[in-house]
Amino acid sequence: MNWSLFFDLTVSGLTLGSLYALVALGYSMVYGILKLLNFAHGDVYMIGAFIGWFALHALGGPVNPDFAGAAVLVVMFLTAMIGCGILGVAIERFAYRPLRNAPRIAPLISALGVSIFLQNSALLVFGAQFRDYQTFNLIGVKTYSIGNLFFSVPQLLTVVAAICLMVALTVFVARSRLGKAMRSTAYDREAASMMGIDVDRVISVTFFIGSALAGAAGVMFGLVFGQIFHFMGFLAGLKGFTAAVIGGIGSIPGAMIGGLVVGLAESYATGYLPQGSTFQNLYVFALLILVILIRPSGLFGTVVVQKA
Amino acid sequence: MKGRRGLIGVLLALSAAFAVVAAAYATPNRAAAPAAPAASGSALVKCGKTRTIGFMVPATGPAVSIGIQQAHWASYYVSQYNKTHKTKIKLQQEDTQLGAPTGTAEALKGAQALASSPNVLAVAGPAGSNEIVGVTKILKDAGLAWISGSSTRTTLTTDGTRTGYMFRTVPPDAIQGPTAANYMINKLKVKNVYIIDDQEVYSTGLADTVQQVLRNAGVTVGRDGVDQQQSDFSSVIAKIPRSVEMIYIPWQLPPKGQAFGNQMKSAGRGSVKLMGADGLFDSSFASVGSHVYDTNFPLNPKSKIVAGFRKQHGGDGDYFGAPTYAAVQVAAEAIDKACKSGSTTRAKVRAAIRGTKIPASRSLIGVALRFNTNGDLATAHKFGIYKSNGSDFQPVAG
Repeated sequence: MNWSLFFDLTVSGLTLGSLYALVALGYSMVYGILKLLNFAHGDVYMIGAFIGWFALHALGGPVNPDFAGAAVLVVMFLTAMIGCGILGVAIERFAYRPLRNAPRIAPLISALGVSIFLQNSALLVFGAQFRDYQTFNLIGVKTYSIGNLFFSVPQLLTVVAAICLMVALTVFVARSRLGKAMRSTAYDREAASMMGIDVDRVISVTFFIGSALAGAAGVMFGLVFGQIFHFMGFLAGLKGFTAAVIGGIGSIPGAMIGGLVVGLAESYATGYLPQGSTFQNLYVFALLILVILIRPSGLFGTVVVQKA
Repeated sequence: MKGRRGLIGVLLALSAAFAVVAAAYATPNRAAAPAAPAASGSALVKCGKTRTIGFMVPATGPAVSIGIQQAHWASYYVSQYNKTHKTKIKLQQEDTQLGAPTGTAEALKGAQALASSPNVLAVAGPAGSNEIVGVTKILKDAGLAWISGSSTRTTLTTDGTRTGYMFRTVPPDAIQGPTAANYMINKLKVKNVYIIDDQEVYSTGLADTVQQVLRNAGVTVGRDGVDQQQSDFSSVIAKIPRSVEMIYIPWQLPPKGQAFGNQMKSAGRGSVKLMGADGLFDSSFASVGSHVYDTNFPLNPKSKIVAGFRKQHGGDGDYFGAPTYAAVQVAAEAIDKACKSGSTTRAKVRAAIRGTKIPASRSLIGVALRFNTNGDLATAHKFGIYKSNGSDFQPVAG
């Protein structure tokens, strides 16, 4: 057993998995409340990466930032999360709310339309070129190690930040009044409305939080992998969706675990399976099909019996 | 339960749609789309004051970042030509969406539109070798010649099916690959090389050629592949054996080369030499460090043409698109020649392209523009080798 390779792949998988988990949370929260597959979510993540990049450059750029690196990072995350949150609310208001009582295929098609709209708008506004976060200039290139386990600062930052965000979300949903309202709305929207819950507001907050998490993931992607571009949301969105389904769509812990499973599966497939780096996506989506066949409700999903 | 069944249904429908698109995309030699009436190769066209060149380029889709370079260089040539000539040139642009699942289909639609437009006298592009295989029948049936500035698959010009119709202003893999491999063997004296292609025809063709030459010379060669749109290379890097002295990445997107180089550094492997191909010839890739090499045609980055381009479009030169400037130049000068009597035919333009003689002094890519009978540049026998000084590439051989 080549332990060095195993640990390298594990660190890589956990980093990727943290990003997928944050994207998956947005899919899962929206599905839990609206039973809608928000296929525009991956593109919100892309917009978050761009907002972070513009915030970085508004603060002097990575080489000579106007403030300390940590302060710049905080501003990048906050602007991306707030910007994406607002974008998510706007998408819900204009693309999904008018179709709330339409057949389920209508909002699905609307979601695909919003995805293409965002992608091409980004191409038009930001241009076709790749943007570089130049993370090495901002937070250094140093690699740390514990035995055979090597990791870089951006990787550590990504995993820790993702864990913090996921814990905060879990506490928010479990303990706050709004979280309780979200759970009630997910359980039965009509009953929640009759109990005096402002369902529209709850749905807007759900979109805001889910999109803000995607925005944070976009910035993390830029910090770890350097390059961002207008097309980056497509595959990341599909992987996030896969993570949500594997974890059990609608389940917050499921989305987190699903993200880590997908990230680790992708990384180990690349390292160990035949032509893994070429066909890593094949292996990831094969895993999705396998989980759906064996356990359609996902790892943490519950089978809900509904009247026909 | 109904909700779950619905979800599974949606997933299966999406999978089926994905499979259909993938299958269609993976078929390299599909039949051309039903033909609309095409202008004939022998039909007389009044040249007029403004002449039209078809321009096939990935203006949207995953490869738009290289398409935009080609579009900038093409429009730069047109702007220069229109400033200095009484006659004017107009580009009729068709988006090929190279790299998108529907890419080849879009290229076929674009070719059909150009073939049917009687004013189009020649075509610059398409960019990809697969696209050329797809559009060959449509353009040939319409009598149109096309000049590609980036398709390098060797057999495109040697299999005989496009002779007299297809020309290119970029040397094929059979020239660039051995130049890179021989430099690794004879100058860098490496014994263990790892090659990573990006699964595109351009990349796998070059990777195969280099691998062959290296193995014939007794060099140990490892091989892997990544997706062209991939940004996370950490798992691939983890697989590269510690004994590897050099990594060859013949990719098309310089920022991806930069990301790979930076992630190598991040993984503590920054001392391993890296070599790219002409697709990565850009300061973003050079910025990875002085251990980075590249191959490119002998373009002079300090030439007046490059300076003028930078003034008009900014950026770092966008050198991948430079042969497209040459492609439009060849088309424009051939049309001028064929239009001397005030009218012409596509066949006459094809003949004029075959007879192109543009001296090196007026050529952006460093060699005279003349074609051999296959349609390849008769003058481009080898590539130059460049080494990064930490920010830009400097010639070291060739």
